[in-house]
Amino acid sequence: MQQRDFTERDIHLSIDGELPLDERAAFERWLERNPEMNAKHARYRKDAETLHAAFAGVLDEEIPSRLLHPAALGGRQVPRQRSAVLWRSLAAALIFAVGGIGGFAASRLTLPKAGSETGAQIADRAIAAHVIYAAEKLHVVEVGADQKDHLVGWLSKRVGLRLVAPDFTSEGYSLVGGRLLPAAHRTAAQFMYQDASGARVSLYVTDDPGRADTGFRFMQEDNARAFYWIDDGYGCAVAGAAPEAKLKALAKLAYRQLLAGETG
Amino acid sequence: MNDKRSAILQEIPRLRRYARALLRDRDAADDLVQDCLERALRRLDNWRVGDSPRRWLFTIMHHLFVDQTRRARRRGEAFPVSHDEAGEVVSEPSQLDALAARDVADALQSIGSDRRAALVLVAVEGLSYAEAADVLGIPAGTLMSRVSRGREELRALLDDTSRRKSIKVVD
Repeated sequence: MQQRDFTERDIHLSIDGELPLDERAAFERWLERNPEMNAKHARYRKDAETLHAAFAGVLDEEIPSRLLHPAALGGRQVPRQRSAVLWRSLAAALIFAVGGIGGFAASRLTLPKAGSETGAQIADRAIAAHVIYAAEKLHVVEVGADQKDHLVGWLSKRVGLRLVAPDFTSEGYSLVGGRLLPAAHRTAAQFMYQDASGARVSLYVTDDPGRADTGFRFMQEDNARAFYWIDDGYGCAVAGAAPEAKLKALAKLAYRQLLAGETG
Repeated sequence: MNDKRSAILQEIPRLRRYARALLRDRDAADDLVQDCLERALRRLDNWRVGDSPRRWLFTIMHHLFVDQTRRARRRGEAFPVSHDEAGEVVSEPSQLDALAARDVADALQSIGSDRRAALVLVAVEGLSYAEAADVLGIPAGTLMSRVSRGREELRALLDDTSRRKSIKVVD
């Protein structure tokens, strides 16, 4: 394949996950040859992480009641009684979405299927981290799979959970390595895997005590999708661009192996 | 109809984040979200089922943001930016991170609103270039240049901030 010339513009494409898959290796080599561009790339990537982290906490905030008040929800446009009924069902939908605020008699209303907001945040962060690091060729992980024991020990200590790096070989993915990430109020571990074609998926695990367990849930974002779950203080997500069924199979593998690792 | 409404409600946290990144001030941002929700619920029929509710709501919010920016400019007023602690972006754990978050949120407010909106949609909300261009109603090439210029401007401002800080230390 003829190698095209890269420019500073490609640094932005790379950070935003817009660089075509088959150009990424050549791009990384170009960075290697151009220390100045490499430094610029590193700076912009760090800024992108800081920017995302700076506003991530907004998703955790309680939603002000004025945004849930009937007046804000079209109360002026619909007859009063209908509006009140509508508002109750809306409020119930939202309460479910944010994970249950006490004091509302929501139980007798029909609730839509939705992920708890906290689980959704884990998935959101997992996807953001996946999009940033899966695009890397040289710096995809901090510690490689060749130092797996060290990697698992280090991440377990920093995240505060007994971790394992699950084996995904039965699904065609092998471990590349892992890295430590900032999470909302603590830290998270990211284990990166890739298949024979170089396509990557990552497992994101963070310590999430005191949250209700969830089943597997699915989140679709623009560049990637994720299966996520919270179980016994482990907040986890498997993220990638792989098909939904594949991610689900990997999520199940990860769930079983993390559970076995925790007790074993 | 109710499906549409609950889909909208579930986007509130994301709308609040987008608005906060655009305006920084918590109350001003929630005003924008409230205006957006009101307009969305009045125009539910414009939203075709199957379309992403997020993109539709972000588009509505963007129009409101542009109107607001223009009005403020005409009146020659600055945007309402309060500096009370309650409105501050404090979301991250370690102090170092919180400081970095504050610096970046400050710097973001200093870049032009067009570039800010483009950068926030891509870097904070994780939209693809095509989707962000769609929300902002601009060609993909324009979007791309706004994102890269915005990012460059942000970095230059952060470099300035750290320079000022180190000068302070020397004093």
